[in-house]
Amino acid sequence: MESATDMFSAFDIRVSRGRRPVLGGATLQVRPGEVVALLGANGAGKSTLLSVLAGELRGEAAVHGKRGVMLNGCDLAKLDVAAQARSRTVLPQKPSLAFDLDVTEVVAMGAYPFPGLSQDDIDILSRRVLDKADISHLAARRYLELSGGEQQRVQFARVMLQILAERQADPRGRYMLLDEPTASLDPQHQQLLLGVVRELALTGRIGVVLVIHDVNLAALWSDRIALLSDGVVVACDTPENVLTPESLRRVYGVAVHVMAHPRQPGKPLVVFG
Amino acid sequence: MNTMVGTRKFAPRPVLVTLAIALILAGLAASSSGAVSIPWSNLPRLLWGQAAPGDAMLQNILVDIRLPRVLFSVVAGAALAASGVTMQALFRNPLAEPGLVGISSGAAAGAVLAIVMTMGGFFVVASMAFAGSLLATYLAYVVGSRYRGVAGLLLAGIAINTIASSVIGVLTYLADDAQLRDLTFWILGSLAGADWSTLAWIGPWTLLLLAYLLVQWRVLNALLLGEREAAHLGFDLAAVRRRLIAVTALIVGPMVAVTGGIGFVGLVVPHVVRMVLGAHHRYLLPASMVAGALLLTLADLASRLVVSPAELPIGLVTSLVGGPFFFWLLMRGRTAAR
Amino acid sequence: MKRYWLALCLCGLMGAQAACAAQRVVSLGGSVTEIIYELGQGGRLVADDESSVYPEAATRLPRVGYYRTVPLEGVVAMRPDLVLASRNAGPPKTLERLRGLGVELVSVSDSPSIDSLYERIGQISGQLGVGQMGDALIQRIRGEVASAQALPATQRRALVPINRSGPFLGAGGGTAADAVLALAGLKNALAEQKGYKQVSAEGLVTLAPDMIIVSSASVKASGGMDKILAQAGVASTPAAREGRVVALDDLLILGVGPRVGQAIRSLKEAAR
Repeated sequence: MESATDMFSAFDIRVSRGRRPVLGGATLQVRPGEVVALLGANGAGKSTLLSVLAGELRGEAAVHGKRGVMLNGCDLAKLDVAAQARSRTVLPQKPSLAFDLDVTEVVAMGAYPFPGLSQDDIDILSRRVLDKADISHLAARRYLELSGGEQQRVQFARVMLQILAERQADPRGRYMLLDEPTASLDPQHQQLLLGVVRELALTGRIGVVLVIHDVNLAALWSDRIALLSDGVVVACDTPENVLTPESLRRVYGVAVHVMAHPRQPGKPLVVFG
Repeated sequence: MNTMVGTRKFAPRPVLVTLAIALILAGLAASSSGAVSIPWSNLPRLLWGQAAPGDAMLQNILVDIRLPRVLFSVVAGAALAASGVTMQALFRNPLAEPGLVGISSGAAAGAVLAIVMTMGGFFVVASMAFAGSLLATYLAYVVGSRYRGVAGLLLAGIAINTIASSVIGVLTYLADDAQLRDLTFWILGSLAGADWSTLAWIGPWTLLLLAYLLVQWRVLNALLLGEREAAHLGFDLAAVRRRLIAVTALIVGPMVAVTGGIGFVGLVVPHVVRMVLGAHHRYLLPASMVAGALLLTLADLASRLVVSPAELPIGLVTSLVGGPFFFWLLMRGRTAAR
Repeated sequence: MKRYWLALCLCGLMGAQAACAAQRVVSLGGSVTEIIYELGQGGRLVADDESSVYPEAATRLPRVGYYRTVPLEGVVAMRPDLVLASRNAGPPKTLERLRGLGVELVSVSDSPSIDSLYERIGQISGQLGVGQMGDALIQRIRGEVASAQALPATQRRALVPINRSGPFLGAGGGTAADAVLALAGLKNALAEQKGYKQVSAEGLVTLAPDMIIVSSASVKASGGMDKILAQAGVASTPAAREGRVVALDDLLILGVGPRVGQAIRSLKEAAR
């Protein structure tokens, strides 16, 4: 049952690699329908936090108090992998495939967590996500023949299929984790992809955590921005509130100038240097 | 490895049908040819027991010797090819095959131990070969799973293979002339052990396991994306790895124990089928099984014809043919533009 | 016509009707084949195996493979009335299946000793229905061996290296070469070793044999006797220094066969 308390949250996550602490108590919450961008300098811990949310890493256990990841009220550590895959999808930074599969075959893999889906349902979903990712014209092609950007969009389509499968039947919140999804895309497709993400979030009641490098893209497309610095979330609020020269200097160590976006009312534009 | 991108892909169903027909024809050819030639027209008569008086020997040869052998090569070929496909998906490497995790070298070590240290004899050798393959695989798995991903498994497999090789080396040194000969012939592979009683247990056992593998096509596809992605698609990686290794060991172990080393089928067949059909396991698995069966049936036919009435060890035939053929294939394919 | 009656009588006399009928014989094992020929029964052979290299006629017969890994179908295809197999033939499972298919298969003794040779001759001649000829052959060999053994023996430490491709293998205890050496009153320098094992140049020097017997095939493989004598290990042995490095035909030194008497004689001469 859909509940107003459906949420994907990480409390006080601590992760060390060897002796070096990577996350020193990071806290983050995402609700269905909102896009949260994760910003921070290299080594701030963005990918690590995403790994924890993705269930790949486990933070240190709590000594006292609450610590860990909760997905729709369930402790992630106790949720089996298959169940996790039905509520949360992950698009990694550099997805790779070294074998000869067609685009449609790769996209159709998004249905694997849902063995009950019929082939027809999968086909319908596939067409829909191919369209959204603007790769319908590539449907019959072989994945290995595509450019890096096109391959990225194919993986995005697969992840979309996974998040949209059996959506009607499952009213609980679902979540999408995207790690630098726009990295190898040209500006047109960057805007396109983020637009689709936004639309998915709103219409599909999906909570999105978006790790992205480009501060301005984050400002334009996210509802909230979480700033990560030295393994801790130092700020998490709307772009206007978070993207101030002081906080950005603290996170990135450079001087910035923030102004009102000339074309998007209410959105900031950050100029570095 | 993008080396095969330039080649054409065909639709799966026609290819499967073609392979199946080829297999049936090969089976008929293998049944009728050999040291003694039995014309095709005589096959039904001999099989269904309306034998003329002079036919006793032919019937003997067909029913007691050839038929179980042909059926065995079908099952063995399918098994070797399917396990090759599985290993290649698990390791995400088209060069992977069951030997990587110590299955073959463990079996060889067990067999050599039996030949040199005991009186030998088929049952003893086969049991020890099977035990050796399971032990080697188990060790490789236990040690390898201390590390993340399949890298650990690969390294443990290398270690196990090295140990098995040295065991074989020491035993080879201790062996006398006669034992050395037996050893060599075991390592080169042979289908001489293919009689009805062996087929009666290894046939159903293998076919069951192969059927199980066939329905694992989703897992195998997901593995191609990488272990992380497969986990994100809802597969418990540790359990999957365990299952796939266990199934492969249980398919290949008994097989190698009975036939000795038969190389190349697990490596070359999946590769060739992938070139024709692509890597989607729903089609790759069954097609590889049929293609593997076809290859081994033809190899067995060749081994019985080339130096008739003597026979070549079948592992020799698959290597002699497989190696150069593979090389030729690689030379034909164009490299990816990237 | 007369011949026909004679043959029938002989068959009746021997009482070995089945053996007489054995016109298609397959032999598995070089030591078996050479005796069959020695008994004058080579014409009844339809196939032999890879190890049957003597006499030369045996090499022209169809070969079913190596006697330790005999192919089932190959043997059955020869439609044999009788298969005479060395005790060391195999694989045992195949031999069992052959029997199961109704093929008459008889295993004969095949150990590296002279008693085994006599036993083998007796078994083979019996199976082929030429028991008398077998007895005669045994007597003849016994005589040859006896007179050869009567010759003066010089106790020498001998070593039999064979060279197949690469390093020398020395014949240790339990090999046929060891048995022949013993029959010739020689002491095998490698008696402690079991079977054929590699012997290094240093090993040769340490063992210091007074006599070295090389098989003729090994001489050929090494490129001639001078090459062998020139080898570091060999050159430093007492055998080389005193000129007692001899070549002997493979079948004389590497097996205990019908010509063992000749082998003993040659060895004793070379030992003097």
